[in-house]
Amino acid sequence: MQDLLRYAIKEAEAQGASDCEAYAADIRESEVFIENSDLKQAKSQSSSSIGIRVLLNGSLGFYSVNRLVKDEIKHAVAMAIKVARVSPRDKYNSLPSKSKVNMLRGIYDKKSESFEASDAAKMAAEMLKSAKSYDKRVSIDSGSFAGNIMTHSLANSNGLYLTEKVSAFSWSIMGMAISGADVSSFDFQVGATHHVKDIDVQSTATEFAETVVNSLGPRKIESFRGEMLLTPSAVHELVEEVLSHSVNSDAVQKKSSYFANKLGKVVASNLLTVEDDATNTEALGASSFDREGVPHRRNVVVEKGMLKKFLYNTYTAKKGGVKSTGNASGSTGSPPSVSTTNVVIKQGRTSLDALISEMKSGIIISRFSGNVNPVNGDFSGVVKGGRLVKNGQVQHAVKEVMVAGNVFDALKRLSGVSKERKIIYDSILPHMRFDNISFTAG
Amino acid sequence: MPAEDGHMVDSLRSLVSYSKGTSYIEARYQSRFMTDVSFVNGSLDRIRVVENAGCGIRVLVDGCWGFSSTNNMSKSALAESLTRAVSAARVLAKSKKNKVKGLAESKMVRGIFRMGANGSLSDIDIEKKVQVTREAEKAARRHSGMIKTASCIYREILDHKAIVNSDGAEVEIYDSKPEFGVTAIAKSGGQSATAHEGIGVTGGWNDLFRKSPVEYATTAAARAAKLLKADYAKGEKTTIILDPGMVGLLSHEAIGHTVEADFVLSGSVVKDKIGMKVASDLVTLVDSGRSEIANNAGGTILVDDEGVAAERTAIIENGILKSFLHNRESAHAFGTASTGNARAFQYNDEPLIRMRNTFVEPRSDKLDDMIKETRHGYLVKGARNGQADANGEFMFGAEEAYLIENGEIKELMRGASISGNAFEVLQSVDMVGDRFQYDIGTGYCGKYQPAKVDGGGPYVRCTAVIGGMQ
Repeated sequence: MQDLLRYAIKEAEAQGASDCEAYAADIRESEVFIENSDLKQAKSQSSSSIGIRVLLNGSLGFYSVNRLVKDEIKHAVAMAIKVARVSPRDKYNSLPSKSKVNMLRGIYDKKSESFEASDAAKMAAEMLKSAKSYDKRVSIDSGSFAGNIMTHSLANSNGLYLTEKVSAFSWSIMGMAISGADVSSFDFQVGATHHVKDIDVQSTATEFAETVVNSLGPRKIESFRGEMLLTPSAVHELVEEVLSHSVNSDAVQKKSSYFANKLGKVVASNLLTVEDDATNTEALGASSFDREGVPHRRNVVVEKGMLKKFLYNTYTAKKGGVKSTGNASGSTGSPPSVSTTNVVIKQGRTSLDALISEMKSGIIISRFSGNVNPVNGDFSGVVKGGRLVKNGQVQHAVKEVMVAGNVFDALKRLSGVSKERKIIYDSILPHMRFDNISFTAG
Repeated sequence: MPAEDGHMVDSLRSLVSYSKGTSYIEARYQSRFMTDVSFVNGSLDRIRVVENAGCGIRVLVDGCWGFSSTNNMSKSALAESLTRAVSAARVLAKSKKNKVKGLAESKMVRGIFRMGANGSLSDIDIEKKVQVTREAEKAARRHSGMIKTASCIYREILDHKAIVNSDGAEVEIYDSKPEFGVTAIAKSGGQSATAHEGIGVTGGWNDLFRKSPVEYATTAAARAAKLLKADYAKGEKTTIILDPGMVGLLSHEAIGHTVEADFVLSGSVVKDKIGMKVASDLVTLVDSGRSEIANNAGGTILVDDEGVAAERTAIIENGILKSFLHNRESAHAFGTASTGNARAFQYNDEPLIRMRNTFVEPRSDKLDDMIKETRHGYLVKGARNGQADANGEFMFGAEEAYLIENGEIKELMRGASISGNAFEVLQSVDMVGDRFQYDIGTGYCGKYQPAKVDGGGPYVRCTAVIGGMQ
């Protein structure tokens, strides 16, 4: 691989590029799909691709192909240069220089090499069985179990060359509970790990089954204002996207971040601490270096409610006059963008049970189905798998309840964060409770 | 580089003739060129060209599906990939309970299909694509002092496909789907408002730009500025007039997904409702691979990825539920014919039941009359992302909501969510407009893989919940 990447760079320089970066990925995957409470299909495939980024007089060109042979790479380089010739100049375009990368341990499991489609099928079957045996009213619409090994390699014309292997297993289950004419809300649960020994489809299946069964027998309620307790999945849908957008330097520079000009200011209740941490090997966003070869690190973005840091890649860092935080992201199919790696919200001191027992009048939301505007934080949508809580006691499931408000306002009224957390692909999230939220009856 | 006509079909034909104990083999070559250009606030945000080509092979062995793909089109690599697909299928034999009993008999399409394109995208230099995107973004930002952020994106997907299966399909398809959109964000005193204007078509450069790029920009900018001063709508269940884009979104999200046969099999609300009245008599709701009524719909496919013609399917006809959306497997299970809804996004994706162009057919009402006959309600415009649940509950966003009082349009309110139970909302339809438009062609539908879809309709009056701040 190193030879091919070096060849791409040499070729680009020969064709007149001042800088060149080549990023390649090789992926082997096995996946088994679940549909209609049964195994649906098994998939086993491998693929490889390369993305060529060139700079020519400060202009950017990018071309990607999915065949790793010299002729194709030569063609891709020529095309990338052609694209650069019609791109506007931008003085912030540059490639990072070589720096020391500490290779992470714990993201590659050698045992994954012998993990095959048949193992994925076994896991998928076990997940199905666990969900069905929890309650016979559970109906599984779909799901999957996937295992893959990715080798990603990067070289640039500043002499940088990096490569590493990452193994990842992830599984999901989606469906509802059906009891006569009563069809519950959909629920969707996921699990993920880098290690074969940590695969735990039972817990995911049980959590899914419990959620859909709990949302049977929903009743209509009156409109009210009260507390909103979000499960980690709902935190993922409602809060995380807005936070991730707002701490992204790209959004800050494009003036579409609510957090622009708020560095060092209080943006949330002091119960909120958020990290972006690609070195946390528990979640799937972990790797040693970013999409352009900058070492990954732990970045505390919000500490006890105070905004501490934005996330940068090399381009936005140069534009902002700071250093990259190692947040260049993207696949071989596009030039590096900026994004979070693993979003980790720090756990609180209260147990989930205690969070519920402290509620006077509110709703527990398992899923949120609606629109969230990451720019201004406005959200409005339907409560899914919602349950009414009165005086610390869960009453019953609710139906056709809309919830609306603003994420930034809500963060200031964050009144509880659970000890318990969940890994959702590249996020580690607790349950979060907010005060004074508007619920509208349908 | 794209292969010559016929060459790819020949090499796939020999592959699928090799049986290896399979009851069905399908080989689909797809070569895709995707170009993306976007500008934000005067700077190039992204430019890329991505070439992605290879062959996806799907097999049915003892009632189990196996899939494999390769980016290497050599004879030996294809044969190896086929072997892998077969072993993947065998893996399921032990644990799969309900084996696939068969695939519905379908007329297998043969031939070469080229999507009509006025102004071939490959003849337009990338320089022109950069220039148009750059100028539209600038026009949005320059529109007024209130516009603090603007962006513009141009994207095109050019596909060359060859689909060959062991039941006799031999199809070659050339497809062209460009899209263009402008987003403007107005800001003042801590408040902000976003507006988007865009289009996505199946066709060429001139099909995309029937309106000039700059016109999209100024429309988006003017709307963002207007929305900034608007109030929030109050949450209530009331009369709602949906614009064509919202009707398309309702048809797609709230009805279309519930009638996808794979969802039906796992217990969607419409499970036992074929032949029953599920909507007002005024509602005829269709999903078609063709661009019915108006040209260049963004979800147009002439043949699906199982080699079945992608024809018009009436889901609801005059209020009666008529059909689900099928691939060959589900059609066999339901004892009916495939509706040509099997679609895969890229070569390494397997075909799934997906929608194409989903819409409500027009009737005779005039929009002016709909407004005049509304005592209190909202006219909502600008479809934003939406979601629907298996029990028919849906929610989607509208960019603008105009308050209607005593038959007159009053002030503009900020975008809000529209929600309700899809079938209750359709039952409540009491007026259906006469002018038809596709308007969700810039969107992608997500169901494990993306799919380019479109939808639309005329203006439609119904009762639903509009959600705002309380």
